[in-house]
Amino acid sequence: MILQTALLIGLVIFSVLAILLKDLLKSAISLALASLLLGIIFFRMNAPYAGVFEISVVAGLITVLFVLTIALTGKGEDVRESRLVNWVFPLVFAAFLVIDALVMKGLLGQVPALASGAESGSFGEVLWKARTFDLVGQIAVILAGVFAVLALFRKRDKHD
Amino acid sequence: MTNTWYLYLFFAAALVGAGLLGLLGKRNLIKLFIAIEVIGKGISLLLLGTGFAKASILTAQALVITYIVIEVSLVATALALIINIYRHTKSLDIRGLAKLKG
Repeated sequence: MILQTALLIGLVIFSVLAILLKDLLKSAISLALASLLLGIIFFRMNAPYAGVFEISVVAGLITVLFVLTIALTGKGEDVRESRLVNWVFPLVFAAFLVIDALVMKGLLGQVPALASGAESGSFGEVLWKARTFDLVGQIAVILAGVFAVLALFRKRDKHD
Repeated sequence: MTNTWYLYLFFAAALVGAGLLGLLGKRNLIKLFIAIEVIGKGISLLLLGTGFAKASILTAQALVITYIVIEVSLVATALALIINIYRHTKSLDIRGLAKLKG
């Protein structure tokens, strides 16, 4: 439990760093570290498949995409961030955490429990049999993403 | 079990809050997208934490994997859009988009 809490605190710290750091490359790397910690948390929650996907896809592939974009667009040094954010963000975030700690316990009591029986079978059976519709949706979304990227990077006609 | 659930939901809400604050305060397009990613991390932690606390971890895992796969195509599309915007305006500043015409 203590290790899990430490991992969760690390996850929040790296996520906040990813938002606050000025250097885009450093913030992409701290986002990857946050994903790595989230993957370890998933492993410790008996969810190995989600952990594997989180570490390999989010910490690996998405970080590569981010680094590639940063390399293609420059480091964004021309963007002037408002200085106020660096002061206001930690204060508002700390206030948010306090409210979160106070309110969340009360909210949990009001969430009705879902009527569901005990799960049986393996992960594969649940994924294929119970969530077939989600898988069809996933395939459609991936195809849509591929076509969107192709459309965005198509060569311009002479008439454009 | 409620204590475990409380722990996960507390940190999930913290991640979503941090992401929302980042969305409100930052101006760099890539930074804004990183904030959206942080919100997404909070949501997947929320899903899996609730599944863990309610003893339906397999369904939660299936949902999280669906989310991760969709996230990849979302990221690819959004980063392609950001690169196109950069080519168009020569800047990553979100305020530059307000000046676009027709």
